Amino acid sequence: MGKFLLLAFRNVFRNRRRTVMTLMMVGGGVAGLLMVGGFFAFMMRGLRESTIRNGLGHIQIFTAEHFRRDEVHVLDTGISNWRQVAASVQSTEHVRGVAPRIEFYGMLSNGVKSSVFMGSAVDPQAERDMGFSPRLSSGRDLASNSNGEVEALIGSGVARSMSVKVGDGLTILAVTADGALNGIDVQIVGIVNSGFKDLDDRYLRISLPSAQRLLQSDRVTNLVVGLDSTENTDRVVTVVGPHLQGLSQRMELRKWIDLAAYYKQVRTLFSGIFLFLGIIVFFMVLMASVNTLLMAMMERTREIGTMLAMGTPRLWIVALFMVEATLIGVLGAAVGVAAGNLLGVLLNASGLHIPPPPGTTVDMSFRVLYMPSLMIGSAVMVIVSLALASILPALRASRLQIVEALAHV
Amino acid sequence: MNPINSLVQIEDVTRKFPLDHNAVTALDRVSLCVRPGEFLAIAGPSGSGKSTLLNLIGCIDKPTFGRVLIDGIDTASLGPARTTQLRREKIGFVFQTFNLIPVFTARENVEYPLLVQGLGSAERRKRVDAALESVGLSARANHRPDLLSGGERQRVAVARAIVHRPALVLADEPTANLDTNNATQLIDLMRDLNRSLGLTFIFSTHDQRLLEHTPRIVRLTDGQVVSDSCSQEISHGQVFASCVS
Repeated sequence: MGKFLLLAFRNVFRNRRRTVMTLMMVGGGVAGLLMVGGFFAFMMRGLRESTIRNGLGHIQIFTAEHFRRDEVHVLDTGISNWRQVAASVQSTEHVRGVAPRIEFYGMLSNGVKSSVFMGSAVDPQAERDMGFSPRLSSGRDLASNSNGEVEALIGSGVARSMSVKVGDGLTILAVTADGALNGIDVQIVGIVNSGFKDLDDRYLRISLPSAQRLLQSDRVTNLVVGLDSTENTDRVVTVVGPHLQGLSQRMELRKWIDLAAYYKQVRTLFSGIFLFLGIIVFFMVLMASVNTLLMAMMERTREIGTMLAMGTPRLWIVALFMVEATLIGVLGAAVGVAAGNLLGVLLNASGLHIPPPPGTTVDMSFRVLYMPSLMIGSAVMVIVSLALASILPALRASRLQIVEALAHV
Repeated sequence: MNPINSLVQIEDVTRKFPLDHNAVTALDRVSLCVRPGEFLAIAGPSGSGKSTLLNLIGCIDKPTFGRVLIDGIDTASLGPARTTQLRREKIGFVFQTFNLIPVFTARENVEYPLLVQGLGSAERRKRVDAALESVGLSARANHRPDLLSGGERQRVAVARAIVHRPALVLADEPTANLDTNNATQLIDLMRDLNRSLGLTFIFSTHDQRLLEHTPRIVRLTDGQVVSDSCSQEISHGQVFASCVS
């Protein structure tokens, strides 16, 4: 067996130039997949974390009623005893903080022009404690305790549309929990640029007490839970779930992935693109390898004939070619992983940026993540590809007529 | 010759090859008996059927008509696996162009038939050493074929052919690619092995230098045996040999 493997190994390096070309092709495929996959992973991780830190949080707690029916009045499916729920969750391991939120809608006006907004009322300190800070293009975040003034953050699109800037005032109009129309004056303390144009065109954020005063309710829409790491989400959900049993309102937990529709769409798209690329690389390696291995077989026709004449079982010839191809696959995968990682290091160090993706306004840095699972997956793919590519040449070699093979020139 | 005592028995063998819409007859009703321990040359001009006859004896080809028996076994009755086993165990091959595995050293090339037979490493080492010593190449054992001269390569090929102690060694034009000196040395080597080990050698050649050292010569012309130096009668391409070794 050892000698058989030795023969296969030496045969791989018999025609060095051809082997080097094959290794470059296989390695290039692997390196390409690692680059693309690593960049996609970086983008998806960035999108995931920005989605979470832009306010989605890792876990959100709602009343079960919230998912069962639409609100008749503002906040009538909201959480009433939210302080008790928050305290219960806060004590769980890996929980960095719990922030109450009110999601509401209304109109805002500068006295001349009115516009629709999607409002979010937050506890600024609780948000900051969890590391959820809005991306400000100017001004500052909401103060924890404002002196009577109702502070507001607005999206860059809103500011442009309403022709307002930091320090200007706006009037917010919304329907209260009783169905009446209520309004408050706010002072703009910051302009937010989330990177998503649709959001920035409607964005408004005020403090929780201000919103409760506006909406005439003590309830909150949900509680947003921030964790020390996204990877702990499932673990915390498992632990927190039982803590929420037996409350006056039945609660439901939602993980960030359940709420991040945009993230899921993008991930599906990128997965599809990556799968397509993987299939292309697979077939490129397969076709090129078949050609290379057939050439190798033709060159060694007389040698195969000699081996068969000496009583070598035909299955050995099949195995020899398959082992050789697999060795090339293993070496090619190693070359590809090394090259992919080296390129990744160089690209990461280069500080390259790419233009903003569609729907966003902020350009992206070009980085490649190191993904062991992708390295293993790509390596396995090319090794399998090479092994498959060797079947045809191996079968042809094993079926050679000995007399004809020995006479081959 | 009593067929029971023969190592190789060829009975009225014809081999035809298809060519376009016709058939070329490479061997025409050839009969031959070879006893164990014989040193036999098949001589004849190019295209006379020497290699075809060796291929049939070596079980790497099958006759169109007639029978080939090796050690009493009718090769036509064997399936592919048994035929492979027969070659592996009973026959050694020496080729005109040496046909060594270029990525193996001389030692590894000689070892190869034993690997195929599945022998253990200690036994392999012992036999390979003996085979290399018998061809005088112990000192060159770790050289690859491209670092050996033509004569040395052919001696490695001979060592490879005898290492598994076959009953029969077939050599197809073994001296064709050698100069006179190396050719003579090779023939002497083969003759020595034939005498010392009792190995049966059948080789094809049209090299007169070789034939001078050969006790039995079978001459072929146009696929027919025209003379056998040990035969008493030749009639219609058949050799009724009563050759006494």
